[in-house]
Amino acid sequence: MTIIVLIKQVPDMEKVKFDREKGRIDRSSAGTEINPFDLNALEAALVIAEKTGAKVAAVSMGPPQAEESLREAIARGADEGILLSDAKFGGSDVKATSSLLSAAIRKIGSYDLIIAGIQTVDGDTGQVGPEVAGILNIPHISNVESIRDFTEESIEVVSNVWEGQYLKRGKYPLLMTVTKDVNVPRLPNFKNKMKARKAEITKWDCSDLKEIIDESRLGVKGSPTKVKKIEVPAQSQREGKIFKDSSSEAVLEMLDVFKKSRVLNKEV
Amino acid sequence: MNENIIRKMQEIVGEDWVVADLEKVGSYCEDETEKAVKPKVCRDCVVVKPASAEEISEVMKYANENRLPVMARGGGTSLSGAAVAIMPTIIISLERMNKIIEVDETSLTVECEAGVTLLDIVELFSKHDSLYFPIHPGDEGAQVGGMIVMNAGGVRAVRYGVMRDQVKGLEAVLPTGEIIHAGGKLIKNNAGLDLKNLLIGSEGILGIVTKATLSIKPKDKHIGSLLVSFENDTDAVKAVTEIFKSGIKPLAIEYMEKTAILRAAEDIGMTWPSNIGNVDLYFIVSERKEDDLYEMYETIVGICEENNAVESFVAESSKEQKTLLDIRSHVYPSMQKMVVDAIDAAVPIRNLAKYMEGINKIHEKYGVEISTIGHIGDGNMHNSILTEDAEKPECYDQIVDEIFNLIIECEGAITGEHGVGKVRNERLKLQFTEKELSLMKAIKSVFDPNNILNPGTAL
Amino acid sequence: MEEKEYTGVLVFAEQKKGDIHKVAYELLGKGKTLADKLNCSLMAVVLGHPDINVKELVYRGADKVYHIEDEMIFSVPDEVVYAENLVELIKDIKPEICLFGATTFGRSLAPRVAAVLETGLTADCTDLSIDDDMKLIQIRPAFSENILAHIKSDNYPQMATVRYKEFDEADRDETNTGEIIKINALKSGNSLVEVIEEISNENINIADADVVVSAGVGIKSTEDLKMIQELALLLGGEVGASRALVETGILSKSHQVGYSGNRVKPKIYIACGISGAPQHLAGMKESGIIIAINNDPSAPIFKVADYSIVGDIYKIIPELIETIKNEELRVKNY
Repeated sequence: MTIIVLIKQVPDMEKVKFDREKGRIDRSSAGTEINPFDLNALEAALVIAEKTGAKVAAVSMGPPQAEESLREAIARGADEGILLSDAKFGGSDVKATSSLLSAAIRKIGSYDLIIAGIQTVDGDTGQVGPEVAGILNIPHISNVESIRDFTEESIEVVSNVWEGQYLKRGKYPLLMTVTKDVNVPRLPNFKNKMKARKAEITKWDCSDLKEIIDESRLGVKGSPTKVKKIEVPAQSQREGKIFKDSSSEAVLEMLDVFKKSRVLNKEV
Repeated sequence: MNENIIRKMQEIVGEDWVVADLEKVGSYCEDETEKAVKPKVCRDCVVVKPASAEEISEVMKYANENRLPVMARGGGTSLSGAAVAIMPTIIISLERMNKIIEVDETSLTVECEAGVTLLDIVELFSKHDSLYFPIHPGDEGAQVGGMIVMNAGGVRAVRYGVMRDQVKGLEAVLPTGEIIHAGGKLIKNNAGLDLKNLLIGSEGILGIVTKATLSIKPKDKHIGSLLVSFENDTDAVKAVTEIFKSGIKPLAIEYMEKTAILRAAEDIGMTWPSNIGNVDLYFIVSERKEDDLYEMYETIVGICEENNAVESFVAESSKEQKTLLDIRSHVYPSMQKMVVDAIDAAVPIRNLAKYMEGINKIHEKYGVEISTIGHIGDGNMHNSILTEDAEKPECYDQIVDEIFNLIIECEGAITGEHGVGKVRNERLKLQFTEKELSLMKAIKSVFDPNNILNPGTAL
Repeated sequence: MEEKEYTGVLVFAEQKKGDIHKVAYELLGKGKTLADKLNCSLMAVVLGHPDINVKELVYRGADKVYHIEDEMIFSVPDEVVYAENLVELIKDIKPEICLFGATTFGRSLAPRVAAVLETGLTADCTDLSIDDDMKLIQIRPAFSENILAHIKSDNYPQMATVRYKEFDEADRDETNTGEIIKINALKSGNSLVEVIEEISNENINIADADVVVSAGVGIKSTEDLKMIQELALLLGGEVGASRALVETGILSKSHQVGYSGNRVKPKIYIACGISGAPQHLAGMKESGIIIAINNDPSAPIFKVADYSIVGDIYKIIPELIETIKNEELRVKNY
């Protein structure tokens, strides 16, 4: 059995600074880390692998430095790391990213289960997982909150979708996206961490994938959506309005606030 | 509380900033001290929330003239009764004085008002490229003023020391109403007697700190946490002494009994990464270069393994490291309901093994549960006497007597970081001579001739 | 010209058990402005049971409603089945714009559809407009809401998921006329994934709630708590609590907001009788709008509040509940 985990290296969002004047994101002081939801995806894979003996491959698209996140995945227990890195991959939108990841998965060849985090903390679209499933033409289960049972042929999970919790059973091949509730990612064991520092990371660029996907479908060229403008919204200040001995006035104004925020629950 | 006093307070700070309603006053009259040892709380108090040192000065002048007890209150996180009112008192809450005045990136200092919380400081530097406030004296609701007068220590004191080592200068209001300044951004300053260091750790009986200049440090680029598990305390303690011998100085070395740390994690819905062994050591290390950090990891884990460590983990992302620290910080709150008395012993690192052996003997002799966590890298151990309902066990007095004697035998201090407050006053004579104690009392009366500022505390 | 090939705005109207999700009405409201600007038709598509009252979508402004019918297959959230039918329709009618609500299901379904159609997709838009070149501008917040990115798509259909509660619902008008087109569903199904059952779930999740109404120790009993719960219900929110209240045992730890509880960031946070210890502030000060009610004018909570109401919670909250109820009655009768 083979499990593929999709991983993205992201900036530590708690440390990313935002330069309002320039409308630019300053990542310089923020370290990088594995997208937190991807750690849940990796943990899910490792738990399944421990029982089934599955091989776990972590796949990431990113700059050469993203090699670090694949080493980290290996330190935590992945068997191998594959980095998709090429200047031509720059500027990829959801479609181009999903196309590239799908191509890499096809190059890996046989696989049973693909696991991805529900979304990344930087891009935040949550679309790449389901889109990869769409391209590979395999089913997907989104927002998996818990894994009830699994074998080498199938998996039973709880998916938080459609404003409810659905128990779903899927036979492989299958892609699933997981939430942070699915598990608590383990810390890397010290020995594995030291070993992973020296692990060999497989690197594929455009030419390694040319049999499977045409360059025109990757990077900027393969991205139909383009950011045309960045708007920096005015920083909102707290209203700081005080009502003293004027409760009815306050209540009316609150009603107005509720209306404007569309939170009045008309079903009640 | 006398109406005239309330009216006078309203005159000084404004009507909105005086709380006299008994129900609201209650939470300002006490701190986090264990209920079995906490002195009896007096709620007949008035809470004043001044906006400046000048207003505090006015309050002090009035109180001094009228011989009224005053107590300054910060975050209320004290564990020694220092912020418990035991008589009708004017309680000065510094919560409104919460401005961060300046970060001086050349002198490496941050200047702030006394009501700034540890959380404010942590957040201020969390996004800073290269500087930070290196120590973490515990509950993040604690305020700078309180941390200074209690000389707080906490988790990360191994490399950079305690609060005393971070305070460069301060402003304080004396019990007689004068505002004084001590120290500054200087590195060398040899003029006169050092009033700053008298005020630090004075437990709020010499003056009310209103402003402080704290030292900040360059951030190492690479910071990591190691978690190493052992089967027993002897191995863990031995590993720590060996690590010090090898010349390594991590930011922190924490010692935790597994049951305590697992309870803390469960209580806040988090997961502690390791569940084998009975005792954990938790190291925070930092270096400028990644290779140096890894070398340090290897040395530490190497020494631990020589001392029979059973498992080691590494946390490097800031979130995972924060999870470890959050769980560690929650150990005390999670067992608070069971704690009769939390001993706050400080002993020289060399005597740690002897101290822990002694504690084990006391535990065996009396059959009372004693749970130990501690800032082991500072030789500061918290041995909590636990019972199901936090009522004093029968032989409580003998147990604590024996523990305090053990501390003195180990050349230690009766309190490492929590302070004497209103709970350890009787024990002072174990550590000090008559003469030493009378010097301290004389200093108090010079600052506070009418003994109005937090009477019954620290001495 | 490619533009001619694709025309019309299509809204995916999500239904569950026959109830159409309100985000569909919001999308029809916004879709109408887009369609008017483009001078094209506004369409909606519902996948579901033949009995669903799809006429409602006409009342809400759709010129055409495609009703892909089946008695069974759309009664569970199966993205493969839904995507197959939607793709077929979209390939057939070729809308220039295709909008999905950014619900959990919409966010899972739309990327599958976009993948097969080989078109772009923008996630979680908060606004939409038409540019001078008649293309769709999709506006979405990025980088922790620090910036708004204006995104355009080169391909057709231009697809986006749009956040719920960003737009007003389209007005309802029973005199509206529109065409309802019934289509038989494709039923190749999903041979790999089986939806076994819906599990009931009563876990509270205050971290994701849009509105959090929190109580402090001013609340003395479970009985007193009822007004807090009622207010939360009226606002579709959850009940939070200060650490002190949790310690009394009136509410469980899962309700606790603060440094050692949940850190929340709802659209609206209402602190009822909470003084605002730093520990509590750390858990809620990032909230969108903060309303604080407390009878102590010196309570630190007021320092972070947008609206500080100095007064007794036992007077103000019932008044607030009453006012909201009256307002809802007014809207219903209207």
